[in-house]
Amino acid sequence: MKKQLTIIAIVAAAAALLPIIIGENPYITGIMISMLMMAALASAWNILGGFAGQYSFGHAAYFGAGAYTTMIVLSRLNPNPLFGIVAGIIVACIIALVTGSIVFRLRGHYFGLASIAVAEIVRLSTLNFEFTGGAQGILLSDVSLWGIDLNSKNPFYYGMLLLLVVTLSITVWLGKSKTGYYLQAIREDQDAAASLGINLAFYKKKALLISAALTSVAGSLYAVYIRFIDTSAVLDLRLSIEIILTAIIGGVGTLWGPVIGALLLVPLAEVLRSNVLGDLLVKLGLVSETSGIGIFLKENLAHAHVLAYGIITVLCILYLPKGILGLFRRVK
Amino acid sequence: MKRKFLSIVAAIVMAFPLLAQAAPVKIGFINSITGKEAQIGENLTNGAAMAIEDLKAKGIQVELVKEDDGGDPKNALAAYEKLVTRDGVIGVVGPYTSGCANVVASRADQYNVPLLVPAAAKEEITMKGYKNVFRLNAPANVYSMVLMDAVKTFKPKTIAYVYAATDFGVSTVKTAQENALKMGLKEVANEKYQQGQPDYRPSLSKVKAANPDLVFLVSYDADAILLMRQAKEIGLTPKAFLGAGAGYTTAQFAQQTEISNLVVSATQWTDDVNWTGAADFAIRYKAKYAKEPSYHAACAYEAMRIMVETAVKSGTAAKLQVALKAGSWSGIMGPVKFANYGGFTNQNNHPMLVQQIQNGKYETVYPVQFSKKKLVYPFKR
Amino acid sequence: MLFLQSLLSGILTGGVYALAGIGMSLVFGVMNISNFAHGDLMMLGMYLAYFAFTLLKIDPYLALLLIMPITFLFGFMLEKVFINRVINHPHQNQILLTIGLGLIMSNTALLAFTSDPKILTTTYSSSAFNSASGISVSVPLLLSFLITCAITAILYLFLSRTRTGMALRATSQNREAAQLMGINVAKMSAIAFGIGTALAATAGALIAPTYYIHPLAGHSFLLKAFTICVLGGLGSVVGAGVGGVIIGVVESMASTYISSDWKDVVVFMLFLAVLLFRPQGLFGKKGGQ
Repeated sequence: MKKQLTIIAIVAAAAALLPIIIGENPYITGIMISMLMMAALASAWNILGGFAGQYSFGHAAYFGAGAYTTMIVLSRLNPNPLFGIVAGIIVACIIALVTGSIVFRLRGHYFGLASIAVAEIVRLSTLNFEFTGGAQGILLSDVSLWGIDLNSKNPFYYGMLLLLVVTLSITVWLGKSKTGYYLQAIREDQDAAASLGINLAFYKKKALLISAALTSVAGSLYAVYIRFIDTSAVLDLRLSIEIILTAIIGGVGTLWGPVIGALLLVPLAEVLRSNVLGDLLVKLGLVSETSGIGIFLKENLAHAHVLAYGIITVLCILYLPKGILGLFRRVK
Repeated sequence: MKRKFLSIVAAIVMAFPLLAQAAPVKIGFINSITGKEAQIGENLTNGAAMAIEDLKAKGIQVELVKEDDGGDPKNALAAYEKLVTRDGVIGVVGPYTSGCANVVASRADQYNVPLLVPAAAKEEITMKGYKNVFRLNAPANVYSMVLMDAVKTFKPKTIAYVYAATDFGVSTVKTAQENALKMGLKEVANEKYQQGQPDYRPSLSKVKAANPDLVFLVSYDADAILLMRQAKEIGLTPKAFLGAGAGYTTAQFAQQTEISNLVVSATQWTDDVNWTGAADFAIRYKAKYAKEPSYHAACAYEAMRIMVETAVKSGTAAKLQVALKAGSWSGIMGPVKFANYGGFTNQNNHPMLVQQIQNGKYETVYPVQFSKKKLVYPFKR
Repeated sequence: MLFLQSLLSGILTGGVYALAGIGMSLVFGVMNISNFAHGDLMMLGMYLAYFAFTLLKIDPYLALLLIMPITFLFGFMLEKVFINRVINHPHQNQILLTIGLGLIMSNTALLAFTSDPKILTTTYSSSAFNSASGISVSVPLLLSFLITCAITAILYLFLSRTRTGMALRATSQNREAAQLMGINVAKMSAIAFGIGTALAATAGALIAPTYYIHPLAGHSFLLKAFTICVLGGLGSVVGAGVGGVIIGVVESMASTYISSDWKDVVVFMLFLAVLLFRPQGLFGKKGGQ
C-alpha cells in the first residue's frame, strides 16, 4: 500500500511540473486537462466496475449531475465554484442512491441496461425542465475563485490532477480495506458472497456512491472550465461509453489501467480529429497535397475519425480483451 | 526630398513581388464535419470551399486550416486554441453550432484573434460585448419576427407551436411567443418533441383539434418532411404553416410538392433575392455540388469571402479586428456591416427573408423590396 | 376521437418497433449478447430499400425478398468473423464490440452516402384511409404492420416446427445442455445472428417509406428495441411482438395525454418497472441473469 501511494506521489509530482516545463501553451495544456479528466473518470468508474464488477453504462448521469448543479449554483445562488462542487456531489449521491436501489437488484445484462435507462431519464428530464436551461443549456461568462484567473488553464490542470490523485489513492485504500475485499468477493461470485453474510446491496451502493461523487467532481470542473454545458455535452450516452472504453482498454480492475487508457485514447482522438497525420504526411513531402491520396487524406480523413475510433474499439476487444496492462500481468 | 521619395517608390516596387510571394495569410475554419450536425456542416464546407476558389481566381491566396468540432464544445475550444496558438491563423470562421460558437466566442478576446460566426443563431453569441466576435447571420429572434410580419396583414387570431427540443427550436419559439403576444395572437397548442421519432401523429392530432390559424414549426432536415407528411395524413389544414429556417428551407423539402406546397418559411438567403451575385452563386453551386445551395452554404461563402479579403489586406489579427469593425461589404448576402445595436455587438443587422414554396420552387415573398412573388394565404391542399 | 387516433397510430408504429425488438430478442436469447449494433443494422436495411427503389425501381415492400437473404448472410458473416470470438467474454466486452461494429457501419455509411438524409417517396408515402369520423390510417404504416404480423407468424412457426428452429430454442434455453445433446451451438449462434440482422434490416426497410434514411437513423430505435425485448421477455418472439405494440401505444398515449417531450421518459420508467417487478418480462422464461 505504501509503495503504491509513493508511486502515485512521484507520478503526481512529475505531472505537476509539466505545465512549468512546457510553458504557456493553451492547446497542449487543454489536451492534458482532457487526459487527466478522462483518467479520473475512468478510475472513478473502475472503483465500481473493477472492484465490484458492476459495469455501469450510465456514468454520464453523475458527470452531468456535477456539471449541471455547479452551473446552476454558480449562475443563481453563489459565485464561488467550491459551493457548486459540493452541491454537485450531493446531487450525484442522491441520484446514485436512487439508482442503486433500483439497479443493484439486477445482474448481468439487466444491470447494464438499467443503468442506461436511468441515465437517459436523467438526460431527458434535464432537457425538458426549465430550471436546467433545457435544450438551451447554461452559459456562464465569467468565473473566479479567490482572485485566481479562471480564464487560464493551469488551475484546471491542477484541479483535475488533484482529483485523479484522490481517486487513485481511494482505489489503493479500498484495495486494502474490508470494503475492498467484500467488493472483490461480490465481483467473483455474488451468491457465494451473500452466503458469507456480506450485505451485497450495502457494499455495492457504497462503491457506487464513492464512484459517483468523484465523477461529479470531474463534471463540476469540466463545467467551470468550458463554461457552457448542455445535455449532449455532459449527459450523453457517448460519454458513458467513452469512460468504459478507456478503462477497458487500459485494464479493468488495475490501479493504473484506466490512467493508461486515458493517456492513449485522448491524444489519439485529438490526433484523429485534428487530422495531424494527414497534415504531417503532406508537410514531410511524402504525399503531394494535390494528388489523389493527398486530397483524400486532407478531406476524407476528417470525416473518418469516428470510423477509426470504431475500428480501434473492435481491435482492442478482440486482441486486448484484458486491456494493455493485461498484456504485462495477469489480472485477478 | 525627391531622392528620398524615389527611393521609397523603388523600395515599394522592389518589395512588391516579395510581398506577393510571401506566405499567404492563414485563416482557420471550424465546422461540424462529423457528429449530429454534419449534414448542415457539409453545406458550410461547400460554401467556404467555393469562396476560397473564387478568391484564388481573383489572385488572392490564402491558407485555410480546417478543423472539425463534431458538434462538441470541448473539441471546438481545442480546435480554436490549436488554430490561434499553433497554426498562427489571424482570423477564424465558424463554428457552426450555437453551443460551440458560444464557447469559442467567450475565448476570442483572450487570444485577440477575430472570430466570424457564419450561421449560428443563438442571440447570446454577440450579446456579451466581445470585441473579437463578429456574426454575419441574423440571430434566432429574427426568424419568428419576420415570419409574423409577413402574415400580419391577414390578421390571424390563433397560433400553435410544433418544434424540436433543441436549442434553436426552444429559442426561436420563445421569441415567437413574445412576438405573438404583441400581435394579440392566442396560443392554442404547444408541442415540443424529441427529434428522430417516427410518429408525430399524436402531437399533430392535438394541434388539429385546437384548430389554429397559424402553425409555427421548427424542425431539422428530414423531420420537417416527416411532420408535414403526417400533417397531411391526418388532415391538419391551418391558414398557414410557418417554418422557421432549417428543415423547411431545404431543396429536398421543396421537392416533396405533395406536402410542401405553400409552406412559408424564414431564411437568411434565397437564390432569387436581388442581392449581388446571389443567383450566380446558386447556379455555380448547383453545377459544382449537384444540389441546391442552402442558406448555410451562402452564409459560409460570404463569411469566408469577407474574412479572407479583409485578412489579406490587414495582415495581422489586431488590424483584422479593426478592419472588420470598420468595413462594409456587399455581396450574395446583401449589404454587410458589423454594428452595435439593441444589445448586440459586431452583429450584422441582416434582413431575413420569407419564402413560400410555390409549384415546387422557393419564391421570396417578403419583405416586398426583395421579392417578386406574392404570399398565397390562406394555405390550401 | 383523439383517443382512437392515438391508439391506432400507436399500434401501427408499434408494429415496426416490434420487428426490431424480435430480432434483438432472438440474438439475446440464443447468444446471450446485447447487440448494440442493432440500430445500425436497421440503417443498413433502410439504405438497401432506398437503393432498391431508386436504382432498381423495386417497391420497398417487394424489395424485402431481396433484403432479407442479403442481410441474413451479412449477419451470419458478422457472427463468424467477430461476435463468436467474444461469446465467452464478459458482457461489457461484448457490448463494446457491438458498439465498435456499429460505429464502423454508421461511419462507413456516412463516408459512402454522406450525411444528407435520403427520402424514399413512394406514391403512397403520405396517403391515408380516412374514415367519416375523421380518423385516418396511414397506408404505408398499415402495410408495414401487416407484413410484420406475417413475418412474426412465419418466424414463430419456424422456431416451433422445424429442426433448426427447435435447435435454436434449445440453445436459447441452455447452451451447454444443447451442446451435449449434439446441437452445433456455434452454427446456431451464427443463424440466430443472421436472422436477427435480417429482422433488423426488415424493420428498417419497412419504416423507410414513412421515415427518413440517414447513417445515424437507426440509433433512435436501439434503446426502444432493448426496452421491447426486456418487456416481452428475453428470447420470446411473441413477447417481443406484443412488447413492441405496447411500447408504440404507450408512446402514443403519453404524447397525447402527458406531453410529447416526456414520452421517452415514460417508456424508460416502464422499462425500469418491468425490470424491478417482472424481470422475466411478460412472456419470458426465468430472468435476472
